[in-house]
Amino acid sequence: MRLISRRSADALTDLWLAGPATLAMLVLIFIPVAIVAMLSFTDYQFGARSFNWIGFDNYLVLITDPQARRAITNTILYAAIVIPFSILFGLLVALGLHGLMQYAPRLSAILRAAYFLPVAATLVAMAVVWQMMLHPNLGLVNQMLGAAGIRGPAWLSDRGLVLYTLAVIGVWQTVGYNMVLFLAGLAAIPQHLYDAAEVDGADRGWERFWTVTWPMLGPTTLFVTVVTATGAFRVFETVATLTRGGPAFASDVLVYAIYREGFVYFKAGYSSAITMVFFAFVLLFTVVKFRFMEKRVHYR
Amino acid sequence: MRRLLISSLAVLAVAGTAAAEDITLRVHYAIPTIWSDAQTKLAEAFMAENPDVTIVIDGAAEGYEDGVQRILRESVAGNAPDVAYVGLNLWRVLESRGLAQPLDGFIGDEAEFEAKGYTPALRSLGQFNDTQYALGTSASTLVIYVNPDLVEQAGGSMDDFPTDFDGIIELAAQIDALSPTIDGIWTQRHDWRFQSFLGAYGGRPMTPDESDITFDDEAGIAAATLYQRFAQEAGMQSYNEGNARQAFPAGTLGIMIESSSLLNRFLEGADGRFEVVVKPLPIMAEPEDVYFPTGGSALVMLTDDEAKQEAAWRYMMFATGPEGAKIIVENTGFAPTNALVIEDETYLADFYAENPMHRPAHEQVARFAGPWYAFPGPEGVAVTDLIAAAMVEVSDGGADPEETVKELAETLRDRLGMR
Repeated sequence: MRLISRRSADALTDLWLAGPATLAMLVLIFIPVAIVAMLSFTDYQFGARSFNWIGFDNYLVLITDPQARRAITNTILYAAIVIPFSILFGLLVALGLHGLMQYAPRLSAILRAAYFLPVAATLVAMAVVWQMMLHPNLGLVNQMLGAAGIRGPAWLSDRGLVLYTLAVIGVWQTVGYNMVLFLAGLAAIPQHLYDAAEVDGADRGWERFWTVTWPMLGPTTLFVTVVTATGAFRVFETVATLTRGGPAFASDVLVYAIYREGFVYFKAGYSSAITMVFFAFVLLFTVVKFRFMEKRVHYR
Repeated sequence: MRRLLISSLAVLAVAGTAAAEDITLRVHYAIPTIWSDAQTKLAEAFMAENPDVTIVIDGAAEGYEDGVQRILRESVAGNAPDVAYVGLNLWRVLESRGLAQPLDGFIGDEAEFEAKGYTPALRSLGQFNDTQYALGTSASTLVIYVNPDLVEQAGGSMDDFPTDFDGIIELAAQIDALSPTIDGIWTQRHDWRFQSFLGAYGGRPMTPDESDITFDDEAGIAAATLYQRFAQEAGMQSYNEGNARQAFPAGTLGIMIESSSLLNRFLEGADGRFEVVVKPLPIMAEPEDVYFPTGGSALVMLTDDEAKQEAAWRYMMFATGPEGAKIIVENTGFAPTNALVIEDETYLADFYAENPMHRPAHEQVARFAGPWYAFPGPEGVAVTDLIAAAMVEVSDGGADPEETVKELAETLRDRLGMR
C-alpha cells in the first residue's frame, strides 16, 4: 500500500535533491542581497545601534557627488582598456603558442606556463613585485629607462598615469587566463575544416584565420569576453594594494569605493547603495551579452 | 616559544588555584609587527602583579582601521573584547557608537591622577566634551629624518641644520640638484601631516567645541603653501607612501618628514648605508600656540560588566603607568605618554643610551603632543581624504594654496553639517 501518491513522491525527491542547494543559495546570496538593498535606503553606520530611512538620498549622492562619478568613469575607462587588450593579446599568444606546438612543443609548454603564472600567483604578492619594479627611482623599469637616457615617470603616483598603469597590470594579469581558454578553443577546431577551406582556395594564413579559426572560436570568445569584462569591472586588489585609490582619487574604482565607504569611512548605507549600482551594472552586462550575442556564436 | 609555553602554564596554574574569583579580560590590539612582543610582556607583567586576573590576547588586527572594524563587528555580534588598544584618531568611532566606556568615575581625584604622570596633554588625547574615554599608551609625532651623507654632498652641514622651513626647503633643493635619481624632500599628502604643519604654525583644524572649521586662516594657508614649495622649489615627487619609505633607507632621498614611529624601521633599513638622523619639526609660531597631533594608540574600556570593569581599569592603569610605558617604549620604539617615565631617568636611561635617535622624537612628544583631531559625525573619516586630495592639488596640480584651503574648509563645513 502506498502512503503517498507517485506524484508527490516525485515532488519530494525533487525537493530533496534541489532543496539544499536552493536553501544555500537563498541564505548565502539572495537574503544578503536583499539586506544590502534594504540598507542602501538607510543612513546605517557600520557598528551603530540604530539607523534612519532616508529613501533615495544615497543614490542621489551617488549621482551628484564628483567623487562617486569619478569612481564610475574610472571603472569604465579601466574596463575599456583591459577588456579589448587582454582578449586580443590572449588570442595572439594562443595562436602563437598553438602554432609553435607543431615544431617546438617543449618551448611552447614552457611559454604557456610563463604566461599562465600571473593567474596562478597570489595577486597581493605580485603587487609587491610591481610596486618594486615601478618604483620611480629604484625600480627596474625606470632604471632601464634611465640607462637609455629617459627619465621615467612615477607610474603609480602620477595622477594622469596611474589608471593606465593599473590597466596594464590588469591586462598582464588576464592574458594568461584568456590564452588558456583560447588554446582549448583552438584545439577543438577539427582539422578537416582547414582542409576544406584549402580546397576552396583559402590557403593563406589570414584567410584560414578569418574563414575558419575566428568563426569557430566564437563560443570561446563570448565566454572569454564575459569573464574578462566581469573581472575588469570587479577590479579591486591591485587598487587596494598599490594605490589605495590615490593619489587624490585618481585611481578610485567602484569596488574599491564600496570598500572605502563601508569599511574605512564606516558609511554602510552609502556603501550598500554603490554595491547595488555595481550589481545592476554587472547583471545588465551579463544579460545583454547572453541575449544578444549568444545567438550569433553557436552553430550547432 | 618556550616563553609562550611557560606563560600559558602560569596562566593555567593561576586559573587552577583561584578559580572562583577569577576574572578573564580579553584584550584587543593591532599591528602585530610592532606590538606583539610588547603585548605579551605587558600581559605577563600584569598577571604577575594581579594573580586574580587572566589576560587573554585576541589575535591581533593587521592595522588600526582593521582593528576598529573588527571591534564593531564583534560588538554587533555581542562578543566585543573587554579592553582594546585603538588608533588615537579612531577611538571616537567607538565613543560615538556608545561602545567606549567613560572613565571619569574610575579616575576619581584629578590632581592625584595627574601626580601619577597623566598630564593634561596626555589626557587630552583621549578626551571629548570634558569626558575621558581613552588613555594614550604610545605616541608618535611628525619628525624630520635626514640623510647626513646627502646633506654634506650638497654642501650643507648637520651641525647647523636649518631650524625653519625656508632653510629646509633651500637645503632640499640643493640635495635635489645633486642628481636626477636623488630627491631632496618628501612628505605625505595626508590629513595627519597637514594637521602637523598646521600646528607648527600655531593653527588648529577646528574650534574646541567642534562647531566650525578653523584651518582656513594664516596658519592653514602657510601649511598648504609648504606642500607647494616642497614640490616647486625642492622638487618633491608625487611618490606614494610605499615608494618613499623604500627610497629613504635606500639613500636616494635627502629629507623625509614622517612619523616618528618609523624610526626603528629606517634605522634597520639604512643600516650600513648611512646614519639616520632625526630632527624635530620647526616651530613657526609662539611655542605655547604650537602643538603636534599625536599618532599612536590609546586604551579604551569596552566591557560594561562591573566586576570586569574594575579589573580592566587596573590593567589600563598598569599599561599606561610607568612600568607599562617602559615595556612599550623598549619593545615598540614609540614615545611614552606617561610623564613620570620621561621625567625620571631611571626608567629609560639605558634605552636612550642605546638608542640615541629616539630622544629627539620623544622630547618633541613630551613638549608639543596634542590631540589628532577626528572630525565629528558620519563624514568624519571621509573628509580626511578630501584634505589629502587638496594637498595633492596644491603640490602636483599647482593650485593656489589660499584658494584651495578656503574651498576645502567650505566643503568640510558642508559635509560635516557645520552650517
